[in-house]
Amino acid sequence: MEKRIILPGEKIAEGRINAANTFFDGKDTYATAIGTLDTTDRYMALESPYKPVVEDTVVGVITDVRHAGYEVDLNLPNSGFIPTRNVRITLQLGDFVLCKIKLVNEVGDVDLGEVRRLPIGKVLRYPPSKIPRLIGRKSSMIEVLKKYGNGDIMVGNNGYVWISEKNNMPIILKAIGMIKENAHRSGLTDEITNFLKHDGVGD
Amino acid sequence: MTEWVISLGGTKDVQLIIDGKRTDGRTLDELRAIRIEAGVIPEADGSSYIEWGNNKIVCGVYGPRECIPRHGASPYGATLKCRYMMSPFSSLEEHSRSGPSRRSNELSKVIREALENVLLLGKFPNTQIEIYIDVLQADGGTRTASLTAAAVALANAGIPMKDMVAAVAVGKASETLVVDLNKPEDNLGQSDMPIAMSHRDKNLLLVQMDGLLTKEEISKMLDMVEKSCDEIHEVQADALRRIYKTEQKEPFRW
Amino acid sequence: MGDEVKDTIMAHIRRNVMEKTLVKGTRYDGRAFDEYRTVEIQTNVIKTAEGSAIAKIGETTVLAAIKFDVVTPFQDRPTQGVMITNAELLPMASPTFEPGPPGEKSIEAARVVDRAIRSAECIDLNSFFIEEGKVLGIYLDLYVLNHSGNYTDAATLAGTAALINTKMPRVENVKIIRGEYEGPLEMTSRPVTTSMIKVDKNYWLVDPMRDEENVAETVLTIGTTEKHVCAMQKGRGSLSKTELLDAIDIAFKRGNDLRKILKEVE
Repeated sequence: MEKRIILPGEKIAEGRINAANTFFDGKDTYATAIGTLDTTDRYMALESPYKPVVEDTVVGVITDVRHAGYEVDLNLPNSGFIPTRNVRITLQLGDFVLCKIKLVNEVGDVDLGEVRRLPIGKVLRYPPSKIPRLIGRKSSMIEVLKKYGNGDIMVGNNGYVWISEKNNMPIILKAIGMIKENAHRSGLTDEITNFLKHDGVGD
Repeated sequence: MTEWVISLGGTKDVQLIIDGKRTDGRTLDELRAIRIEAGVIPEADGSSYIEWGNNKIVCGVYGPRECIPRHGASPYGATLKCRYMMSPFSSLEEHSRSGPSRRSNELSKVIREALENVLLLGKFPNTQIEIYIDVLQADGGTRTASLTAAAVALANAGIPMKDMVAAVAVGKASETLVVDLNKPEDNLGQSDMPIAMSHRDKNLLLVQMDGLLTKEEISKMLDMVEKSCDEIHEVQADALRRIYKTEQKEPFRW
Repeated sequence: MGDEVKDTIMAHIRRNVMEKTLVKGTRYDGRAFDEYRTVEIQTNVIKTAEGSAIAKIGETTVLAAIKFDVVTPFQDRPTQGVMITNAELLPMASPTFEPGPPGEKSIEAARVVDRAIRSAECIDLNSFFIEEGKVLGIYLDLYVLNHSGNYTDAATLAGTAALINTKMPRVENVKIIRGEYEGPLEMTSRPVTTSMIKVDKNYWLVDPMRDEENVAETVLTIGTTEKHVCAMQKGRGSLSKTELLDAIDIAFKRGNDLRKILKEVE
């Protein structure tokens, strides 16, 4: 059964409810982004820019090395920052990192900590609102990709996906592309498993 | 396909409406054929393509992203930028010069000032959101068609909006009030009033006019706008919903 | 949405990672080194133009439109028509394209496509003469609508496809009667361009996609007609004599494939 598609400006509740990507006009609550209504009438946006949240896991790229810390590209309008006190290893320009958001403020600053340097690989941009689908329920989808790709994959909530160079790139990239195109459909995990099995990447 | 009406003579006395039918065969409150496709420019954050009568307009949206130049950034919210541009091959007449004109400059401004009202810019301080509108083929009513397309592109990008917006030009030709002026009606008619309206609240977000109208005429025309904008909204909604349909889609053709 | 992370910083690392895949004989999208992505051409898209086409190579999309005006000829060629080519890298086409007057990339694209078409001598500009001081000017506008790599080849393809489908306007008393036409524009050959890059080792990757363009060390475009090379343009990087001659072989092979596709839309 197809979920109902909600458009920006559509009413999703009487009175005020606490949900992301909504707008309260003093009387009722409306959707602000195109999304779906599930069987319990819960609204979820299909497309939306990433909103950094403390404790989110993100993948980033070091874009500047400064005395006070490191500037990190997080696929956000403004760079994130790793204060020197938040990291014990030395990082270099161009390093890929996996870290957690430690601080977010109203003007868009994002501070990071719990930093891990990722080995050589490729970082891909992926729509942040579709990241949950890439991970899958209980990590089901991402585990399938890691199993058949022969390499490690790290998914950042910010829409950056790190893929180890050990992976079979063409197959993994194609699979990720398929997930992106079909994020709104069900039965995807089985389809992807089938695709990966039959494209020369056996068990 | 909507007929091209190439030339009708140059005087304002020409009969644009005969027996309730207009030069292109439409009735007084009939819109030209509208086709909208969303997501046509994969590189952009959001995009749309609209064919409205013989108008063909493509729209691409980016953002929120870094505000360049930095000094244009605002701590209160995203800076909205809008560029409406007509391609040099968009008119049946001569090939025009590439680049902005005074007219495209004004239209960029009024379109931006319409969309500012529904975009939740406050959520993205120190960023910019860009709307790029390129008119590939023009036949009257490009600003309202562009606005209609831009709203779809913004929704396609997931940029939060309080409401959807549609726009249409109503006018007066041969003493008769008509909806969605075509080119001869625009050039030779008595008045042209483009209006953008938010879908739920029915607020007027773009208001312009030229010519001479009475207050009663304007009131009647606003009712006509509301009815037309509801129809246009359905086409926008359908374009956005179609992206998520699960059955096999027909490949997009320009 | 664009795939790869900001272009500038880690080209050398990304080159190394890409090499691991290339060494196995395929590219990130599974293509062979000398393979084009899917090519699609749609003609007659813009009715206000005398000729038009949209060419898609993969997701890279370029619109070409042809318009005629009556113009003054160049002083040194008073009986010849005038051809003017312009390219716009529309800001919507890529997060890296900025609004504003044409930059070096769009100017280069226009001049390379123009060179390929002009050298091919496929249009007889002498047939554009109207009377003393008045000739037909033909404007070729190339609009890059979406940039997923290699807009140059898509632009030349769209340009040639548009020209093949162009109708000559009716001229009366030194004025163009818009909406009335007098037969097709005569095109005596089908120029196309084939672009390729070198990432690290000495093999050419044809029809580079964005990822590959971003790490390319050498960029090369070769224009061909059925039997001749009609344009060459090296972007950044360097190459050996052998590499150039190999590239020319590749350009003829792939160019003829593109010409086959053009034949289908005539």
